[in-house]
Amino acid sequence: MTDNRAADKRAAVKIHVSDLRKSFGRLEVLKGISTDIYESEVVVVIGPSGSGKSTFLRCLNRLEEPSGGQILIHGVDLSDRKTDINKVRESVGMVFQHFNLFNNLSVMANLTLAPVDLGRASKEEARQNALQMLERVGLADKADAFPAQLSGGQKQRAAIARALCMQPDIMLFDEPTSALDPEMVGEVLAVMKQLAALGMTMVIVTHEIGFAREVADRVLFMDGGVIVEEGTPQELLQNPREARTADFLSSVL
Amino acid sequence: MGQIISSYGWLLARAMGQTCLLALLGLFFGSIIGLVFGILGVLQNRVCRAIEVVFVDIIRGIPMMVLAMFVFFGIPYGVKNILGVSSFTLNALQAGTICLALNSGAYMAEIIRAGIQSVDRGQMEAARSLGLPYWRAMQRVVLPQAVRTMIPTIVNQFIITLKDTSILSVIGFPELVNTGKNVVANTFMSLQTWFIVAVMYLIIILILSKLAKLLERRLSYDR
Amino acid sequence: MFKPFEYTDDNGDFVGIDVDLLAAIAEDQGFTYDLNSVGWDSAIAACQAGQADGMIAGASITDERRASGWIFSDGYYQATQCMTVAADSDIAGFGDLAGKTVAVKTGTQGAAYAESLKDEYGFDIVYMDDSPTMYQTVTGGQAVACFEDTPIMAASIKSGDLPLRIVEGSENEGAPYGFAVFSADEQELIDLFNAGLKSIRENGVYDEILAAYLG
Repeated sequence: MTDNRAADKRAAVKIHVSDLRKSFGRLEVLKGISTDIYESEVVVVIGPSGSGKSTFLRCLNRLEEPSGGQILIHGVDLSDRKTDINKVRESVGMVFQHFNLFNNLSVMANLTLAPVDLGRASKEEARQNALQMLERVGLADKADAFPAQLSGGQKQRAAIARALCMQPDIMLFDEPTSALDPEMVGEVLAVMKQLAALGMTMVIVTHEIGFAREVADRVLFMDGGVIVEEGTPQELLQNPREARTADFLSSVL
Repeated sequence: MGQIISSYGWLLARAMGQTCLLALLGLFFGSIIGLVFGILGVLQNRVCRAIEVVFVDIIRGIPMMVLAMFVFFGIPYGVKNILGVSSFTLNALQAGTICLALNSGAYMAEIIRAGIQSVDRGQMEAARSLGLPYWRAMQRVVLPQAVRTMIPTIVNQFIITLKDTSILSVIGFPELVNTGKNVVANTFMSLQTWFIVAVMYLIIILILSKLAKLLERRLSYDR
Repeated sequence: MFKPFEYTDDNGDFVGIDVDLLAAIAEDQGFTYDLNSVGWDSAIAACQAGQADGMIAGASITDERRASGWIFSDGYYQATQCMTVAADSDIAGFGDLAGKTVAVKTGTQGAAYAESLKDEYGFDIVYMDDSPTMYQTVTGGQAVACFEDTPIMAASIKSGDLPLRIVEGSENEGAPYGFAVFSADEQELIDLFNAGLKSIRENGVYDEILAAYLG
């Protein structure tokens, strides 16, 4: 699979990042990140807390405003003033650590709000689509429930379904299992695996090394605001070249 | 007491109506003012936030009785002498409504600002990540949640505003306290009159609290 | 504050016709008292609650107040009431008040006078707490006229140089002001007051006090 993609690299670059920088006040969190992410690629970003990996992810749909560098999402420059960021976000789904389901809306309304509001679908179409997505994440019976009535794992699966309802071609996951009880991690990872198998382009910030080994096409190890090392799971997880990578892996495994 | 009720009952009942009218008008416009300034207070734009702070600080810093004098006498004076419109006057109801709206608006602005800020940032981020514009996200996701947490505080503010109508007795608005003073002056029956007035306030406030409870129940979404 | 019956003067002293009359009467009758300035509404409540023995506050003697159990002294001052309008007003009499708003001061004989005319001439009444505010509603245009004791109105217009004018022929017959107590136990105080009042009327002190305030 990796080889096929290598054949037409240029055409299939989904996300192009070059020299991305981000500072909060005087604190520089990202110190020049460059990478290309290809169609259907599953990229897992690992690294110690404070390494800047979540900030990197949040820059990709401009939830954080970059301080410097360039990001192209299917060729569209995010820092260009003429770029309609809302249009870009429609095609870039995001899943958050704390789920962020809309507490005031039922699961169904969570899923249909954006598609209907943005004129992507009629109410009925959005509803049918949402039911399909709920089916896919195993929550068809929870359509009328409110977020407060769901378990953590159910919330996160609903949140994934919500993002999928916009029919994105890129999905960003920001530590999707970190806030879950251990017994619920599996159900969320299963949904993500299924998504990867369907060819979704995914960028995942996670601490689940096992998941990275199993699903990732490429693993990025970040520390101190830079990408220290990257490679296939086999390369990076079994035989890290950098001492910092090895240290980190030994501390989490 | 019976004597007061038989001689002045209708007058006091009408004053109760005037109190309700003034409170409703003041709260209606106060809510609009509060919403506008409350939202200004949560915007990214520094100028907008500064406008909210200045408005709130000025209005909260002036006792309403003083504000009432400014509005009732000062606004018509200013319109006449600065704008040169000689026929302009404000009656006590108009001036009272302006005072109450400004006063309750300032407090509501703070309640609404705090309410919006109490909604987890993730809610706005999730809405924005789906491509919803800021105002749609505010309207569909953040405000409904903010309003629910604000309701007990807003009801509290409504009750305070309702009681603040009594301050407008100084500009001669015939609400309960103004009328009560009058009944006391005529009959010299102070305690009895104020007892009746107190009961009337209590009735209005109990009704208001009941309505608020109903509203709170209707707006609850997670049960 | 109810100028010139009781008010705080430029020196911060509490003075007025009521204050001086009471002092003269007490001196004449040989009793002592504490005087607290608590405002009209609180004065009434204080007497009713037994916190005060009596009140002297420019209170008119009326049957309605008597019916509530109050006991009044003999009248110590009698004034007519009149209607006052802005100096440049077109209003020439009560007939011009239809549909207009008139300001009065709560609890005064002027208020009672306006109330007695209200239905016949079809105007609205707003009740203010004190004279300055009442005058201001007329000078500011929020009310077209106010009702006040004639000598007080005349003195205020003169001393404050107010752009107001008393409407000719608007005076009533007037009613007396009395010292008031709430409880029959205070009858002795009323008797002392009446005796003292009679005495200072005879010895000229009464006229001196009135002259000092009303000119």
